[in-house]
Amino acid sequence: MPETILKPEELQPAAELARKTLEQLDRILLGRREVHRLVLIGILSRGHILLEGLPGLGKTALVKTIGQILKLDFNRIQFTPDLMPGDVLGTHILQETSSGKRELLFQPGPVFTNILLADEINRASPKTQSAMLETMQENCVTLLGTTRPLPQPFFVLASQNPIELEGTYPLPEAQLDRFLFRVMFDSVDADVLDEIISGRRRGELPAPTWQMERAELEALFQTMGRIYLPRPVSRYIARLVSATHPGGAEATGPVNKYVSYGASPRAAIAIAEAARANALVAGRPSVGFEDVKLVAQPVLNHRLILNYQARFDRMTTSKLVAELLGQLDETGLNLPKDVELAKA
Amino acid sequence: MKHSHLDALQTFTHKLTALLVMRAVVQMATVWFFVWGVFVLTMRISRVQHTEWLTLGVFGFVPIAILAALRERRRQPAFANLRANYDRLNSCGGVIMSEEAADMSAWVAQLPKPAVPKFHWHSGRPLLLLGLSALFAATALLLPERLTKLGNNHSLEIGQLVGQLQAEVKTLAQEKIVDEKKADELQKQLSQLQKDSSGYDPNKTWEALDHVKQANADAAKQAAEEAVAKTESLAQAETLAKAMQQAAEAGMTEATASQAAQDLASMLNAAKLEEGILNGRIPPELLAGLNGLNKEQMEKLLKALELNKNSLGLTVSNLANLKLIDAAMLAKCQNAGQCHNPGALADYLSTCTNGCNAEALAECWRLGRGGPGGGGPPAPMLWDNDTSEKDQKFQEHALPPSSHLSDAQLVGVSKAAPELSANDVSAQHGALDNAAAGGGSVHAQVILPEHRQAVQKFFKRDN
Repeated sequence: MPETILKPEELQPAAELARKTLEQLDRILLGRREVHRLVLIGILSRGHILLEGLPGLGKTALVKTIGQILKLDFNRIQFTPDLMPGDVLGTHILQETSSGKRELLFQPGPVFTNILLADEINRASPKTQSAMLETMQENCVTLLGTTRPLPQPFFVLASQNPIELEGTYPLPEAQLDRFLFRVMFDSVDADVLDEIISGRRRGELPAPTWQMERAELEALFQTMGRIYLPRPVSRYIARLVSATHPGGAEATGPVNKYVSYGASPRAAIAIAEAARANALVAGRPSVGFEDVKLVAQPVLNHRLILNYQARFDRMTTSKLVAELLGQLDETGLNLPKDVELAKA
Repeated sequence: MKHSHLDALQTFTHKLTALLVMRAVVQMATVWFFVWGVFVLTMRISRVQHTEWLTLGVFGFVPIAILAALRERRRQPAFANLRANYDRLNSCGGVIMSEEAADMSAWVAQLPKPAVPKFHWHSGRPLLLLGLSALFAATALLLPERLTKLGNNHSLEIGQLVGQLQAEVKTLAQEKIVDEKKADELQKQLSQLQKDSSGYDPNKTWEALDHVKQANADAAKQAAEEAVAKTESLAQAETLAKAMQQAAEAGMTEATASQAAQDLASMLNAAKLEEGILNGRIPPELLAGLNGLNKEQMEKLLKALELNKNSLGLTVSNLANLKLIDAAMLAKCQNAGQCHNPGALADYLSTCTNGCNAEALAECWRLGRGGPGGGGPPAPMLWDNDTSEKDQKFQEHALPPSSHLSDAQLVGVSKAAPELSANDVSAQHGALDNAAAGGGSVHAQVILPEHRQAVQKFFKRDN
């Protein structure tokens, strides 16, 4: 529990920064309002995001734009099967110094940045994926016994292509669990496409008109830490994650039928943090049930391991999570079934 | 928190609690009405008709409802949960919930306008059930009595039989055959029997009725037999008294009169009128002075005898009318002690000079033998008795049972007749050995030697 709950005048600057960031993103990248919000929530939650979508939908542009707006360093790695861990993390090279001595100097890899776009991460070998995902968890790189911290903040925005799966190495569930969100990158509608074609020659993105200073970003993170999570909401998050486990007290029928393994405690932490970030973006000092419901889908949809029956019945994690959110009573009031509450 | 949000939250809490209490009350009242309705129906079918407390029992739902309300209040949801719901339903984004940690009044201005959340109770089914159960309880209370007896209204149609038996009992009581107390008891038993008779268990009723009927018949038969015996004695005494009266006028000797008076006294004593079921009475002064009765006293005696006889006859007649005794018994009673030759007795008494003996008196009641004066009147030709069938009809005898087929033993089954050897052609032993045709009751066909081959060939043919 925070020492004091934010006052309106304390929260207002942070909310304004978030609003401006989203405004810039929405101006530069058209038709991706929800994705922008989720990405900003992910960054505020200091989580990594897995973007899943077809090529050419603007994943790289999004990451690049965020880097520009937040004034953060940005690197991109195009993952291929022959990419080695050294190509990602960095390597030691033998170099002669001015004094004529030869010594091994560390050449940092592209991972040493603030925002890293790991493009088509599922095309790299498991070894490279493993090295990459370790940095995501530890926020540091250890080579030849020397640990080097990564610059902060450090975000990985990885992308996956849901087609052309031949020659790919799907991320294991344990590694997927390290991503805060899995965000589906869908196609934009015709109006947006028309606007892009007519307003942007060769698809060039406009430059941001406002950029966030580093101090402002730090202040944003500090404010984020003071967003209050009420007890009933934390209880709801715990019940929600617990309900994803088959055989759980509040597990629904479809969960019992289709889920092999439910979400981990890391999922509950992720939901709580993301809900806090969502409350901040919304300009509220506390987390409400609606914040949880908004972030639950991208947090949980890559964390549930479904069984073969789900494949046969074409059941997806998104459907399961949506069903679970609809069934589970937020407050655990346990009213009789014939009594319903509704908004005034 | 803005005061209005607090008010709205309080209102929401109270309304929800009231709704849950009302719901519990409806449920409990429904259960109570149904249970009480069943109880009332059971009581009424069991003929417990304390309608007042059955009616008052309907209001038993009040304490039940109070208990349900108290229980529901104790189970009221926690305030934190209600506040969370209020927050959620008013889209307050956790600000109302955060009251648990700090004063959020600074944020009230940014909250939506306070409104008490709505709640909807799908009350159609519970209220319908409540109505139905209340209707059921009311119906159980107000149901006409005749309908509550439907369950056990399969009584037997024994009214006529019971009425007949009651009439029998009444008659038996009137005739002093059955004492009043027992008759009353029987009447009550018969009434109860009629009330309790049930088609589900008719044997019990029929057995009880048969028992009463048999008891009545036995009592009537006993009474009729007693009446026959007494009537016989009375009739004989009356005949003797009349003969004595006539003989006295004709000059009966004193010795004979004394002997006849002794006989008359012994007859009356043998009648034992004052004992038994149908007791009669002869004035004691007459009984005491039988030896020296004058004409007037004799008249009185005759009148008393006739009165007693008629009384017995009337009793037996009543029993016969109720078919408690058959016609034969009635006729037996009517003819009991009837003397077919009263004049002969009077003649005998008047002519007898040296006393008379009982055997001679008894001869007077025998038919067709004439009186002691020799010859006597001719025997009457009666047609009222059936002719004896003795020596006119074969006596029937049951034949001994024949041997059972089950005792037979199967030794084999053949398609053709058994093959006979030359020695077996004719029967050599047994009752029919060498029996000649027409020689007895059994016709035996003797096969001639010239035909034996043909017969054997016939039985040897295939199929």
